[in-house]
Amino acid sequence: MHFAPLPYLDPGSGSFLIQLAIAALLGLAVAFRASWSKIKGWFGIKSKPAEDDDESDDK
Amino acid sequence: MTNLTTNSGQLPASFRDPSGFLFSRDGILYRQINRAYADEYTRLMESGLYEKLVKAGLLIPHQEVDQAPAESEAFFRVIQPERVPLISYPYEWSFSQLKDAARATLSIQRRALKAGMSLKDASAYNIQFVRGRAVLIDTLSFETYQAGHPWVAYRQFCQHFLAPLALMARKDVRLSQLLRVYVDGVPLDLASRLLPWRTRLNFGLLTHIHIHAGAQRRFSGEEVRSRSGSMSGQAMTGLIDSLDATVRKLDWTPRGTEWGDYYNLTNYSDGAFEHKKQLVSEWTKRIQPAMIWDLGANNGVFSRVAHDTGAFVGSFDIDPAAVEQNYRQVKQEKLENLLPLLLDLTNPSPAIGWANRERDSFHGRGPADLVLALALIHHLAISNNVPLAQLAGFFAATGKWLIVEFVPKSDSQVKRLLVSREDIFPEYTRAGFETAFTTLFTIREAVEIRDSERVLYLLETKV
Repeated sequence: MHFAPLPYLDPGSGSFLIQLAIAALLGLAVAFRASWSKIKGWFGIKSKPAEDDDESDDK
Repeated sequence: MTNLTTNSGQLPASFRDPSGFLFSRDGILYRQINRAYADEYTRLMESGLYEKLVKAGLLIPHQEVDQAPAESEAFFRVIQPERVPLISYPYEWSFSQLKDAARATLSIQRRALKAGMSLKDASAYNIQFVRGRAVLIDTLSFETYQAGHPWVAYRQFCQHFLAPLALMARKDVRLSQLLRVYVDGVPLDLASRLLPWRTRLNFGLLTHIHIHAGAQRRFSGEEVRSRSGSMSGQAMTGLIDSLDATVRKLDWTPRGTEWGDYYNLTNYSDGAFEHKKQLVSEWTKRIQPAMIWDLGANNGVFSRVAHDTGAFVGSFDIDPAAVEQNYRQVKQEKLENLLPLLLDLTNPSPAIGWANRERDSFHGRGPADLVLALALIHHLAISNNVPLAQLAGFFAATGKWLIVEFVPKSDSQVKRLLVSREDIFPEYTRAGFETAFTTLFTIREAVEIRDSERVLYLLETKV
C-alpha cells in the first residue's frame, strides 16, 4: 500500500511505520472497549459517557 | 501581516501547500483555491463538515467572493475568510493556549473522519485565537480520507503540539521557546532526550514521543511502501483518542510565588489603583481605538479596563504564569476580544521561517492604535539599561497613542531595582522623561496618580 495521491508533506518513514504499530494496538483497545460496553449493556450497566465533548455542540 | 506580501499580493507564509494560497488586495485578505484542490473543497462544503466545524467554532468562516485570482493559471475559486484580529504564534502562547489549540486540532480531525475527510496537516500555525477560542484558519487543510491510510499529519502533530506540551508540563514551561527556533515543531529526538525518564511510564508519551523518536532514527530515509501495512478506521480512532487523552492529562499549574498575587506585591494603595483605572478607562474611551496593545500587562487587570471600552486588546507579558492566569480568566469570563500573549519586550518575537518572512515579527503585526505601558518603563530603562530616547522611539513605532506611567526613582519599586547596582541613570527624572518623549510625542494629558509619586501620561505621536 502507498499513498495516492502522495501527501504534500513528508509523513516521515519512521513516523509512518510506528504509527501503524501503535494504532493497531490502540485500535484493538477501541474494539475491546466497544465490546465490553456491549457486554455490560446486556447486564443493564450503562457505560460512562465519553469525556470528550465533541458531539455536544453538534446538536 | 499584510506588509509581508510578494508582488502578486501572495503572503509569504502561504507557499507550502499547492492547494492554494493567501493573498492580500486593498487591505483585504483572500484565499485562492487552486484547481488541484477543487474536489476536496467541494467535499468539505457539501458534506456538511464546513458548517459543522464553523458552528462548533473550530473553523474560520469564509465567503466565496467574485474576485479576480492572484494567479490565474491554477485558479478554481477565491474565498474571503473572516479576518483574525491579532495573529499570534505558538511560542507566544501560554501552556493552556497551546493545549487548547492541540485539542481543537484533534477535535477537528475526529469530525473530519466522520465526514469522510482527514486533516492533511496539523501545524500549530494553522490555529489562531478568534473570539477567545482556538480556531483552524486554513480552510484547505482537509483531504478525502482514504480507508486504510494512516494519518499523514501524525508526525507534525507530535512535533507542533505534543512534544512542546510534554516539555512544558513535565520539564519546564519555558521550553515552549524551542518553538521559536524549530519552526516545524520540536524534533522528537530532542524532546525525548530532554524529558525526564519517568515520562516513559506514561503510555502516550512513551509511544508518541520516545518510541516515535526511536523509530524515526531507525527507519530514517527508508522507503515506506515496501514494508507498510494498512490502518483500519478503528485504529485511526484509537490513535486520535490516544493523542487526545495524552494531551488532556498534561497539565501545568504554577504554584506558590510563581502563581503570583501580582497586584498584592505592588506598592499601590487602593485609591491610587482606582484612580489609575479611571484614567485609563476615560482616556481609552476618548481615543476610541480598535486595537490596543497592553505591554507588561501582568495578569491583565488594565487590559480588561481597556477591553471594556469595546476595543480588541493584545495583553502581553513576559511571565508565563501571568499569561496562563490571564488566559484562564479570559476563558472563564468568555471574553472574545482579549488575547493574552507571552512576550519579552527586551527581545520581542522576530520574523522567522523561510527567508525570515513566514512568521511576522512583533512590530510587523502593528502598529496598534493605542499602547498601554503601565508600571513598565522603569523595568526597561533601569533593569535593561535602555536610554529614554530609545524607549520613546520604540513606543512611537508600536502605536499611535500611548498611555504611559512614569515611575520616579523615589518610588519604592524603583529603589528596589537600584538596591544592588550603581545608579547610572542621571536622566531618569520626570523632566528627563518628558524631554525624551516629546521629541516624538505630544503630551495630551499628564496626571499625578493619587496617593503615589507616579505620573500617568496620554501621549500622541507627532505626524
